[in-house]
Amino acid sequence: MIDELIRILNHKNVEWEIYWEAGRGSSFKIERGRLERAQRKYHSGIGLRIGYKGRQGFSYITGLNHDRATLEKFVNRTIKLAKVSEVPFLGFAKESKFKRVKGLHDRKIEELSFEDAIEYAKVLLEKEKELKEEIGKAYTLSGSLAFGHAVDGIANSNGVEKQEPSTAMSFGLYIIKREMGKNGSGSYYKGFRNIPDFEEELSKGLKSALRDADLSFNAKQESGFEGEVVLEPHTAVSIIGILMSNLYADNVYHKRSRFENPGVDVANEAFTLIDDSTIEGKLGSYSFDGEGNPSQRTVLIEEGILKSFLFDEYYAKLMNAKSTGNAVRDFRTTPHIGTSNLIVDGRREDLEDLDNAVVIKKVFGEHTANPISGDFSLTVELGYKIEDGELKPFKDNMFVGNVFEVIKSINALGKKEEELGGFISPRILTFGKIV
Amino acid sequence: MEIELLMKRAEELARKYDISYYEVRIAKINATSLAMQNSQLEELSSNTEIGIGVRAFSGAWGFSSANDIRRAEKAIETAMKIAKINRGSSKVHEDDPTSEKAYIKTKKDFENIDLEEKLNLVREIDRLLKGDKIVNRKIIYGEGKKWQFYFNSLGSEIETLVPKIRLSFSATAKEGNDMQSYWKVFGGTRGWEVIERINFEEWTSFVKDKAKALLRAQLPPSGEFDVIMDPELAGVFIHEALGHASEGDAIKNGESILGDKLGEKIAVEELTVVDDPTLKGKFGSYIYDDEGVKAKRVEIIKNGVLNEYLLDRETAAYLELEPNGHGRAQSYNYQPLVRMSNTYIEPRDWSFEEMLGEVKRGLYLIGDKGGEVDIANGTFMFGAKEGYLIENGEIKAHIRDVALSGKILDVLKNIKAIGKDLKIEFPGYCGKGQWVSVDDGGPHVLTKALVGGLL
Repeated sequence: MIDELIRILNHKNVEWEIYWEAGRGSSFKIERGRLERAQRKYHSGIGLRIGYKGRQGFSYITGLNHDRATLEKFVNRTIKLAKVSEVPFLGFAKESKFKRVKGLHDRKIEELSFEDAIEYAKVLLEKEKELKEEIGKAYTLSGSLAFGHAVDGIANSNGVEKQEPSTAMSFGLYIIKREMGKNGSGSYYKGFRNIPDFEEELSKGLKSALRDADLSFNAKQESGFEGEVVLEPHTAVSIIGILMSNLYADNVYHKRSRFENPGVDVANEAFTLIDDSTIEGKLGSYSFDGEGNPSQRTVLIEEGILKSFLFDEYYAKLMNAKSTGNAVRDFRTTPHIGTSNLIVDGRREDLEDLDNAVVIKKVFGEHTANPISGDFSLTVELGYKIEDGELKPFKDNMFVGNVFEVIKSINALGKKEEELGGFISPRILTFGKIV
Repeated sequence: MEIELLMKRAEELARKYDISYYEVRIAKINATSLAMQNSQLEELSSNTEIGIGVRAFSGAWGFSSANDIRRAEKAIETAMKIAKINRGSSKVHEDDPTSEKAYIKTKKDFENIDLEEKLNLVREIDRLLKGDKIVNRKIIYGEGKKWQFYFNSLGSEIETLVPKIRLSFSATAKEGNDMQSYWKVFGGTRGWEVIERINFEEWTSFVKDKAKALLRAQLPPSGEFDVIMDPELAGVFIHEALGHASEGDAIKNGESILGDKLGEKIAVEELTVVDDPTLKGKFGSYIYDDEGVKAKRVEIIKNGVLNEYLLDRETAAYLELEPNGHGRAQSYNYQPLVRMSNTYIEPRDWSFEEMLGEVKRGLYLIGDKGGEVDIANGTFMFGAKEGYLIENGEIKAHIRDVALSGKILDVLKNIKAIGKDLKIEFPGYCGKGQWVSVDDGGPHVLTKALVGGLL
């Protein structure tokens, strides 16, 4: 059907781009020791962009099995939109060589029957039941598990024609401890492109979630503190997330970014930030982006110096730059700028075995922060003070600061990295205030 | 495929797979959106989507969806197969069958308004937002109509139509290295009349002036303060501080700290909190939920007492209560979850001036910048667009970038005064793994909270 659509488009006097997807997802929810919810969902569709006399039209259609008449109607409707539209059109991506990123597809996930998938969910359920037996009735355990398989394809009138299959699997664990009017909670989430040693990963996850639930249960609100703080990767992703919109070319172009040009000193030299969609087997990786541009490694901040913004094709053309392969989309949307794998790197130090430190493990509420002024006030879900090697957990305080100051105050990064979805970061030593 | 045929096929398949309860939603969504930034049109799209979502129950849920309607029968069979494999011992509330055509009517159908007129609208707002120090202007207009046919194994057949319209615009002001934004959102389950009622001159000036004024505003102090919240902030406050913790699934799963507190006094006596999907024209309104249950007004807290949870069919059966029409799904391809609709604090009799007089040293905080809650630990936070310091009952310096945090079970008892000026006109979206449209509000409210200021 895609070939049929391309044939129709090639007979029209327009520039065109189609982006198609077909996928399937299976997911399970475990609530209070029961497998309560299971689902298997299918999705497919085509997004069509038409370029006509410097204007762009876009529409989408769901499903991938349409007759010629439906496709003709779809094409004509989008051309009509391009004719009345005032959305500027600067051209689609050109055909270019790209290197296929390895490890993004696992045949085992693709071929997993629902019956096989539910067996994994039962393993998760059993593991939680075993743990619950061990730790007792003060604890409530829940969990989730998901498998996904999709094929994404792109073709345009410049001769670009690519497609890529990908798979993913993820699980989440959530433990609550409630006793004598006190509460604590711990969670763990991990995603993969390939099926891992599931039992081993579950054991690791349950251990981590239980540790956090116990710490959280014993945590109290701390008195205020201002000074050196260690941000664990979970907090780092929240803080770096506030910074990111300032590095998107569209926001730079439209003056919604703190930054105007690369080459300026924006952070401490201990800090480097990279967007890299080419890493084998990572969740944020892809071989080509939503416009067909090849994936690449883009250094955004290097040793404190702003090196580059993230570009899609449109803003690259507007700003005399090259696309960094950061157009993200699905078939329902036009491309927009987004991250792939975000990597925090830089000057390393041993931040793993500290005798005295204030550590912030998790915060929440980052969407309430102001990305252009950089100011944030986030609730501490879990943190701990280490005093002479002893852990004193705290929660319900607020971690306050300014993201631009935080990155200027980074003194060192830990040696051990953690992967949180497409975010890869060690611990970060910086300056902060807790109220 | 004909709906009647599909209904018949669902019945046959349910017999084959021994399914005790099932429900099917077939939806058709028309949506148009326009987005402009700094006079440049960035989006103009108009799309139609049709899809099917199926839930089957046999003590546990099986769900399947498809956006290719030719897969409709397959989706029904898949959901039933899953439910058969995944048998459990949960219950679901089964009620008497309902047959109704429930359309939300508009005064002026936005689909009858020319695209050109909508384009002129965003152009005009863009023009009005221009001004000294304003470096960015952004306007987003969206409209959508969702037609849905719901049927279930009990014999219910419900056809609904929900129109939604939303307009937001923002201005970003810059001075030196400092930048501040302000924005305003309008919307509801109404038609083009929402747009016709807006005084654009007034609101664009207001937004521009606020963005510029915030450049000169101070950073907020930190610590525990008496806080007067305006109606918009009171809305997000009650949404975060109470709404999520009163959702039936959080109760059933043992996640919420309000788990065994029904009938207990958890707030000051003056506090009554309502979630009401039946309010006319609000952004979170509907006639039937996505489980074919009629929407009902729920008094979550009545005179300080935890009075009712928000429930769907499953949580109602678990708690041996009646469902109250709060099972909502983002779209046909999502399973319904327990969600809020329009959540607000009932007004009392305080005037704003009386409230102000009560505060020796505190903050007057305005506008909603979103929030988040940890229902297990009972901690929530939310952000305000702006605020003012209060000293000895008088409004003083302007402050910016303010966020607050509190403990659910403390903060509801710390409310000192509830105003009489109720407003529920703050459309937004609530995320819980799925996005649904909501509204919230209240009168001015005086309470105590932890302010995370930078000073």
